Amino acid sequence: MPDSPRQDVRPAFRQWRAHRPFWGGLLLALGGAEILLTEKASLKVVMHIGMQGLAGYLLPAMMLLCGLLTIFSPGQRLFYSIIGILCSLGTWLTSNLGGFFIGLLLGAIGSCLSFGWLPDQEPRRGRRQRRKEARAAGNVQEAVQP
Amino acid sequence: MASSSDVNSSADHTPGIPESDSAPDPARRGRVRLRRAAVMAVPAVAVAAALAIMTAEGALGVQFSISGMPFTVTAKSLDGTGFEQFGDLDSMIPDSPNAGDTGGQVLIVTSAMKNATLDSLCQSVDLGGTNLLIKAGSGSSKVKASDLTTDSTELSGDASFNNIEIGNDASTLTKAGVKGKKGVFSQQADTVHIDNLRQTNYATTAGVFKLPGLKLSFSDSGC
Repeated sequence: MPDSPRQDVRPAFRQWRAHRPFWGGLLLALGGAEILLTEKASLKVVMHIGMQGLAGYLLPAMMLLCGLLTIFSPGQRLFYSIIGILCSLGTWLTSNLGGFFIGLLLGAIGSCLSFGWLPDQEPRRGRRQRRKEARAAGNVQEAVQP
Repeated sequence: MASSSDVNSSADHTPGIPESDSAPDPARRGRVRLRRAAVMAVPAVAVAAALAIMTAEGALGVQFSISGMPFTVTAKSLDGTGFEQFGDLDSMIPDSPNAGDTGGQVLIVTSAMKNATLDSLCQSVDLGGTNLLIKAGSGSSKVKASDLTTDSTELSGDASFNNIEIGNDASTLTKAGVKGKKGVFSQQADTVHIDNLRQTNYATTAGVFKLPGLKLSFSDSGC
């Protein structure tokens, strides 16, 4: 399909997404970015407060990094998600109550999704489809028995 | 029904991911297993709840550094030690939605306090439509802040100062450890008491904020 590259992009993206905890990493990165946006204190003030003020920037930056790394290097997702959840919870103390709670929520959900993600799963089936398959299997058995 | 897929999940625990091979079966893809996610979600929620409760009881201090958006702070009374005040110019980011007709720059009054105790603190941030309200310290225990620095455009209240020095150069201030630009008018005092405080702020930074009786809510009206 080289003649229609635009149509080719969406399935390719879907395929790329299928092999990494995409939404988990994205939510974690967004959470970190949101917290960074809410705090833009001038560098002079941060220097004055010292170590504590620095932590306020360090933790959301770590969240942002962990989120991006989860997407681009999914093999290490357990490590990134654990660091991500610790940083997310830490921002409650250091960064405006976790970016007024929104960033903390995004980060926590993203970390949990990354942690729970597993590669190479069966395609999802609805309950109705599953029942239909079971019925079909039953029919086959009946047909075989006599 | 879940047994067959669970067997699969336990077999796939190895972190190696078939990233390089270009998907032998496109129907099989990575998926979030809810039970696995819950292993992390349950302790995380517990820790978050513990943090929120400890903050609401005033046992844990939190840090604040907000800027770039205007917000209002009110308090019934404020007691501070090590008080400084001087004028300054705050710049917003280019094309800030909050700029309005100000040209991206606001004339502000910077107030710095070494230690502050606030009674019935109420803080509201306008999020366009709704306001985020943060209330704390209305009970017997008060809000405590250290290294509090605020940039405000409006400041009103009934103030009384102790041992005040008016007319210092802003670069020579000593009481709270923050210094302004050279040649700017400033004042400093050992202690300050303000009743019915009302500030419109553009930036706040606090080293440690202790917020007993914290209430976080959304509301139509601000403070």
